[in-house]
Amino acid sequence: MTSRALSLILLALGLLSVGCSTERDEARPSSSAAPFASAAPATLAPGAAERAPGDVERGRALALRFECNRCHEGTGLAAPETAKACVGCHQEIIAGTFKAPKSALARWRPNLLGVEFAPSLAATGKRLRRDWIEAYLLAPRDLRPGLVSTMPRLALSRAEARDLAAYLVRDAGRAEPASLEGADLGRGRELLETKACGACHTFSGVEALPIAPSPEAGRGSAGIALAPDLRFARERFEPARLVAWLLDPPAVKPGTPMPKLGFTKDEARDLAAYILETPLAPLAQTQLPARLPLLDRPVRFAEVQERVLGKICQHCHGNPDVALGDGGPGNTGGFGFRPRRLELTSHRAVSAGLLDDHGERRSVFEKTADGTPLLVAALLARRAEEAGKFDPAVRGMPLGLPPLPAEDIQLVESWVAQGRPR
Amino acid sequence: MNKRSSVRMLVAALGMATAIGASTRPAAACGDVWVPYMDNGIDYRPQGVSRAEQGFDDGKIYASAASVLRMMPHVRALKPASATIVARAQRMLALAVARSNGALPVEGQVPWWVQGRWLGGTEADRAANLEWAVTTLRGIADTKAKDPASMTDLGEALARVDAHKAEARSVLEALAKKDLLATPEAYAALAELRGESGDASGKKLALARCQSMSNGAAVCRDATAHTG
Repeated sequence: MTSRALSLILLALGLLSVGCSTERDEARPSSSAAPFASAAPATLAPGAAERAPGDVERGRALALRFECNRCHEGTGLAAPETAKACVGCHQEIIAGTFKAPKSALARWRPNLLGVEFAPSLAATGKRLRRDWIEAYLLAPRDLRPGLVSTMPRLALSRAEARDLAAYLVRDAGRAEPASLEGADLGRGRELLETKACGACHTFSGVEALPIAPSPEAGRGSAGIALAPDLRFARERFEPARLVAWLLDPPAVKPGTPMPKLGFTKDEARDLAAYILETPLAPLAQTQLPARLPLLDRPVRFAEVQERVLGKICQHCHGNPDVALGDGGPGNTGGFGFRPRRLELTSHRAVSAGLLDDHGERRSVFEKTADGTPLLVAALLARRAEEAGKFDPAVRGMPLGLPPLPAEDIQLVESWVAQGRPR
Repeated sequence: MNKRSSVRMLVAALGMATAIGASTRPAAACGDVWVPYMDNGIDYRPQGVSRAEQGFDDGKIYASAASVLRMMPHVRALKPASATIVARAQRMLALAVARSNGALPVEGQVPWWVQGRWLGGTEADRAANLEWAVTTLRGIADTKAKDPASMTDLGEALARVDAHKAEARSVLEALAKKDLLATPEAYAALAELRGESGDASGKKLALARCQSMSNGAAVCRDATAHTG
């Protein structure tokens, strides 16, 4: 029972953590107005990362602190104990091999579909650019259309992101030089189609590929779930790294779901050139869905718990008394988050608030500057994050998962407005 | 009464006692120490406590208290810090005791040998029960770093004892000021305390919060009745 509950607390994916930076000017801002978020995201000035490569040892300490290994393989850290292995636990529940009553597995399983994979961090340095990783850690966005979960927005400063990125690319080595000069983009496009890359990958911003992954296909298939949208490849890859990757993915990263497709060097160059250089249509601007008006029917806690808190939130804001003392990252701490002591498992617990950055208890119904209750503000902030807008004061919830539907936020907001009846 | 009938009566009495004992699974407790108790490799009490908590949250507070007494007949002697399951069980029982003013209405729900003074048959029993509730909830609050949920419970229980009313007011007002009172029952207790001190507008506000939090349940009407 306890290990089950403990395992379920671990929904937030990805991670990387807080640390021991001495760069006070870049340390995370303090927080008087930041009950949920305690680090402002930032984007890198061009060239900044090249000037400051980060510290690998500090980065390793951060990887430990942020518990990257709970979601990712290939971190260079020891595997976590079973009860803390988020993705492994999800996979066992979905496969029905987790030690729990069948009725419980049936109840949990629908909530876990789509969060059963996380990319391995093995050989990151042989593939991805350090400066991109640093920026991504600070402002993660959805790269993988087939994966429900995304890298969560962690509480780390720019200096910490730099050190962590340095640790993750520690195995980069030197790539064999490869120039894309003279490469044939048309041939690259042809290869993309004939090799059926679209069976797993989306490539937004270019003419649609003849084959496209079905929206449901990512469920159960690591290859489809983990395949990134190729439009982001130009931010993530140096040309030489991409060519090497296309030639023999398993040689670069053993165990990758990306297959070796038998490209010649010229073909790999052509394909890399198309992926990295073909003009892209701008990303469709994500429109924030309208905030729905308050419901005029009574809303009781049981409904809020059934539709929202019990389905999602309490995985990370659990009851430590029934989980061997681990209330999840949003309660007793984890993934680099300090203990906020916010439990969302019962009406009484929700009403008891959370610890702010000063260790003082605050109500989750406290109004933010625009009059929105904190609990609702966190749900709205997640929608803004999806649109690329990161609020330094409020971390969007649910962490690392898609925003709640507008109807669910409406439900929570209506319940609060009605005096949060039991 | 001849010797043979005396023996028959003795055997019958022993049989009845055995039957009553067997009908309620004795919890494993030794003095104030919680002892895990396995039946075919499973300790059913965590599941029982969870169910009791669910019932408690649904308003069946006395049924939940009775369930706790059946599972843990020696619960009064246990220390809340000994195990989280003990603290969870004691919390339900202590709040039920407080809400019943020290006289738990569980006569038909627990065996006679477990009832002890929980039924609060005398004023002394009721006072002792309420004092136990306060002491227990104070101990739980200490193990929880005085978090608002446990302090809310403590404040509500304190409000039931004349000698603790000043402390109750202090605890409940501090939480209410930060919108951290976690139950409508605690708002009802605060309303009562404010009413007793002549703070009519404060009482009205607390009752309004009680009513919105409880959706107009009886808990707030009780407070109105107590304070006129």
